[in-house]
Amino acid sequence: MEDQEILAKFADPASRNLAFNQLVRKYQQRVYWHVRKMVVDHQDADDLTQDTFVKVWKNLENFRQDASLFTWIYRIATNECLNFLSAKRRKFFLPLNDVGAELLAKVEADPGLLSGDEVEQKLQKAILRLPDKQRLVFNLKYYEDMTYEQMADVTGTSVGALKASYHHAVKKIEQYVTTQSIND
Amino acid sequence: MHMNTPFRLDDHPRRPYPLAPPPAGYFEQLPRRVMDRVQPTEAPALGWLSRLPLPLRTALASTLLLGGFAASLVLSVTPTSASATLAAVPQEELVQYLLANDSRVTLADLADLSATAPTTASYLHASPEELQSALDAQPTDDSYL
Repeated sequence: MEDQEILAKFADPASRNLAFNQLVRKYQQRVYWHVRKMVVDHQDADDLTQDTFVKVWKNLENFRQDASLFTWIYRIATNECLNFLSAKRRKFFLPLNDVGAELLAKVEADPGLLSGDEVEQKLQKAILRLPDKQRLVFNLKYYEDMTYEQMADVTGTSVGALKASYHHAVKKIEQYVTTQSIND
Repeated sequence: MHMNTPFRLDDHPRRPYPLAPPPAGYFEQLPRRVMDRVQPTEAPALGWLSRLPLPLRTALASTLLLGGFAASLVLSVTPTSASATLAAVPQEELVQYLLANDSRVTLADLADLSATAPTTASYLHASPEELQSALDAQPTDDSYL
């Protein structure tokens, strides 16, 4: 079902539930994996994915369609992730960038969380070392293959700043994986 | 593992799902779980109750409980139900019952009543003089008095 059709059916109380069910089925995997890459843990990702769709339900009537439904949902999911990571930082009195260290500790304690070969695992650890917002930018570009304009809609950041952030993220990742491989 | 050339991200195959997959069947169940959350099963008419603060809900429940107890107490002592039940019994049956059983009601008692309650006189079939004679014949040490 196309987004426009979903929105039209959602506006009609008689078909609202059906339309929303279709919306969840259409976007659940993309939202889940977007969230999961940010918080790593499945249980946290499950909670945040559900919270995202509950917010979509509550606010879809006010969706103005000046952005695509897809980027609007991503923006809600992204805010849920960043708020979750900030709350975690406050709860455990972590410095600004140490949520990544906590996520790294989590995947090192449970190697089953990461899949892929040795280089892939080094790549994932390098990504987790990035600050939250830079990791978000990297994920949207590298994994979601979004345009910078779409990323600007999701993050509320300028295209120029996003390009610079992604460029720096790639450099950091390449440097980390190279260094780790030499040391092994 | 040793790597002689620097790692280049563009040369690395992109894996869209680099983390362990969620439990089997997760995406089949997720839409229903989301729908359950956006459509609570409680009755809409009582939805306002769950939104009240806990102390207020406790106070409301206590008030309802005490009110129900007080109402049941008041209703249980009201005489209307007993009177109404008694009034439904025919008077002839009442008189026969009082005279026939061991309730210690005597003709003299009924004679006393005849002066104030004409209803009773209609069941005695006696004139005031006859009733007075019956009263005079009663022993003075009537233990019923």
